Amino acid sequence: MRYSAPPRARIGAATTGQDHGTPAKTSGCRCRIKSVRLEGGRVPAEPGAGTCDAHETELAVLLGRVACGDRDAFEAVCHQIAAPVFGTVRAVLRDVPQSEEVAQEVLVEVWQSASRFDRDRGSAMAWVGTIAHRRAVDRVRSERRSAQRELRAASHTVAYDDVVERAEANLDAERLRRCLGSLTDLQREAVTLAYYGGYTYRQVAALLGVAAGTVNTRMRDGLIRLRDCLGVGHEG
Amino acid sequence: MRASRPEPHTLAGAFVLDALGAADRARFERHLTRCEQCAKEIRGLAEVTARLAGAAAAEPPPGLTRRALAVAARTRQLPPLTPDRPRPWATRHVSVGGPAGRAMAWRPRLAPALAGLMVILAVVLGLAARGAQHQLRQDQLHSHAIAAVLTARDAQMISARVSTGGTATIVMSGREHALVFAARGLSALPPSRRYELWLMGPGGDKPAGMLPGPRNGMTGPVLASGLRPGDRLGLTIEPAGGSAHPTAPVIALVAL
Repeated sequence: MRYSAPPRARIGAATTGQDHGTPAKTSGCRCRIKSVRLEGGRVPAEPGAGTCDAHETELAVLLGRVACGDRDAFEAVCHQIAAPVFGTVRAVLRDVPQSEEVAQEVLVEVWQSASRFDRDRGSAMAWVGTIAHRRAVDRVRSERRSAQRELRAASHTVAYDDVVERAEANLDAERLRRCLGSLTDLQREAVTLAYYGGYTYRQVAALLGVAAGTVNTRMRDGLIRLRDCLGVGHEG
Repeated sequence: MRASRPEPHTLAGAFVLDALGAADRARFERHLTRCEQCAKEIRGLAEVTARLAGAAAAEPPPGLTRRALAVAARTRQLPPLTPDRPRPWATRHVSVGGPAGRAMAWRPRLAPALAGLMVILAVVLGLAARGAQHQLRQDQLHSHAIAAVLTARDAQMISARVSTGGTATIVMSGREHALVFAARGLSALPPSRRYELWLMGPGGDKPAGMLPGPRNGMTGPVLASGLRPGDRLGLTIEPAGGSAHPTAPVIALVAL
């Protein structure tokens, strides 16, 4: 997977274990690299779960340095997140030039608000993903208002096939694909249409021809099942 | 016809997937401030979206990172939010002052902060006390949303001078994605003009509401929602009907 292979030489020095909890050596910055909470307590749902953890820890540490204005750290962050950010935005927007524009806004927002990232409230990639998705959705909704109802034109099977099936072959994407396969059809469609299609749950309900209330419970149930299957997001 | 209103708790999934319309989202966010269990659930479910984003990874166009670096180099970073852990209202430190909201400086500045809060509370109470007018119901709904911001765990107070006269007090909550604006001593305007608020962010300027006329020298409170990270609050004087984009110089600008 492309985004998981950042240039090691650049960021390796900043993210070795010895650095954890020591003051960041950035010029005149009193920021500290926050101590890294190791994920030892987490029980993987299955062998190989948590392959993202190393990158995750690295990304969280880098964001701590970005918050102090460290541009090298920001460049390293960009190398890690540009692909998932661009891919997520493009999944929602479809239009490449527009996706590029929004992806750039997302990267700049990561720079701007790095100080607001709080690892106690979730992983770095979840934080970045939230920014990317929300921006893409904001963009698509402001456009759909003007171009109402081309809604049905976008076949709703596209979201799942396009994005998940074509995801590059790697352990994480494979596990996600398998976990999505364990959902009911309605749960899976509700989750992927909302996430990759950028639809509201009421629009998803209209697309699938089911009650809005059913859709939002399926979204929640589907995400809970995915969370448990992926072995992510459990606290304590 | 009004759409049915779902039980807020069931909206956790749709919230995490950004699948709520503005009204549903505002309701759910209010619910979140009262529901620790929901907040915990949201955090767990957000990790799933990280994997969904990862699976969508696609080779970015060449130059994306380079351009982002160039823009970042001339973009000021936001200060951290209040560094103290969220606490119950009774023991909360209100941080004041510039946008930096310096944690160490809260103590000496608490008095002006409380004074500012009193201004807003007075206006809110004033609204509630206006008695049996036909607008009351609307006002109550409005006041409820305002109270949600004022009592948010991460509520932060900022005051700012308005260059044409007067002082603005802003209470903002990142969790509520909203702020409450009130001002005192704003210069009187001719009937053809009114004050308009803007959310000015990297994504452009968004109208955030027209200020009502002053009562007893006080203006507001006005609720502005839909805050995005990086937004700043701006104030301009516009034609009375409001403008879609600022057409006059910004007379107050506050980093949030």
